[in-house]
Amino acid sequence: MKDIARQSMSIKVESMDLLNAQIKMEAHASASYLAMASWCEQNGFFTSAKFFFKQSEEERGHMMKIFNFLVDTGGSPISPEVTNINHDYASIVDVFENTLEHEVKVTKSIHNIVRKSRELGDITTERFLDWFVMEQVEEENTIRDILDMIAITGTEGVGLQMIDNQVANWIE
Amino acid sequence: MVEIYRSKYYSLHQALGERAFYLDFGQKTIRMSLCQLLSLRHKVMSISLESHFDGALNKHGVEVLLLCNKEHLFILNTLEIIDLKNMVEHAFVALGLSAEREVLAV
Ligand SMILES: [Fe+2]
Ligand SMILES: [Fe+2]
Repeated sequence: MKDIARQSMSIKVESMDLLNAQIKMEAHASASYLAMASWCEQNGFFTSAKFFFKQSEEERGHMMKIFNFLVDTGGSPISPEVTNINHDYASIVDVFENTLEHEVKVTKSIHNIVRKSRELGDITTERFLDWFVMEQVEEENTIRDILDMIAITGTEGVGLQMIDNQVANWIE
Repeated sequence: MVEIYRSKYYSLHQALGERAFYLDFGQKTIRMSLCQLLSLRHKVMSISLESHFDGALNKHGVEVLLLCNKEHLFILNTLEIIDLKNMVEHAFVALGLSAEREVLAV
């Protein structure tokens, strides 16, 4: 009796709901990084702008990965509404600090879905998220390295332009 | 036809021969695929019940539900929405696609 439903869908609906929320979060990150790229362009930090254009694309890639997973497992992916994108930053340091804050939020959210899918016995979703867990380690590490570099360089005099130039090291 | 779950106003059935579900709304029964059932679940679960108790947000206390790519339209009142939410939750547990509440509460 349960078979038709199970044959059509291979994950739990609770996981699906959490993954749809994560799709929204990745879309929000993508849009936020685009706003940061815009800020960088307008304030003369052209290398950082490039960095954020690339980050924005990556976040969209994350979103599509989850979207396609929901398609593959017979779930119902929801195209996200993205609102409340901040375009105001006090400085380039502020931009990167916000980025780290956002990445930490994303990591926590991914860990939460791993924990919930484990409780649900949804091994498929738990395994799928392995890649995201490791990706978040890298994402956080990149931004932390940039913030360290900013601390060492300092923001006095030509510091800000030196910071921008060095961001190139984190654009593959 | 096998009954999956019956609430006060609604009942969900599964047709054995076809890969389809039948949702009996009382005045009308509609045929749905699992995808359409998932979409119904999303719409029903997104309805904010709080707005029904706030005259400024939902003056008449009704919800318009468009289902199956706008093929069907239902206008439901607060009690019907509560019952439909309840039906959807239990039906997904009965279908084996949703965990029991106890597990989720952990
Ligand atoms: Fe991401
Ligand atoms: Fe990220």
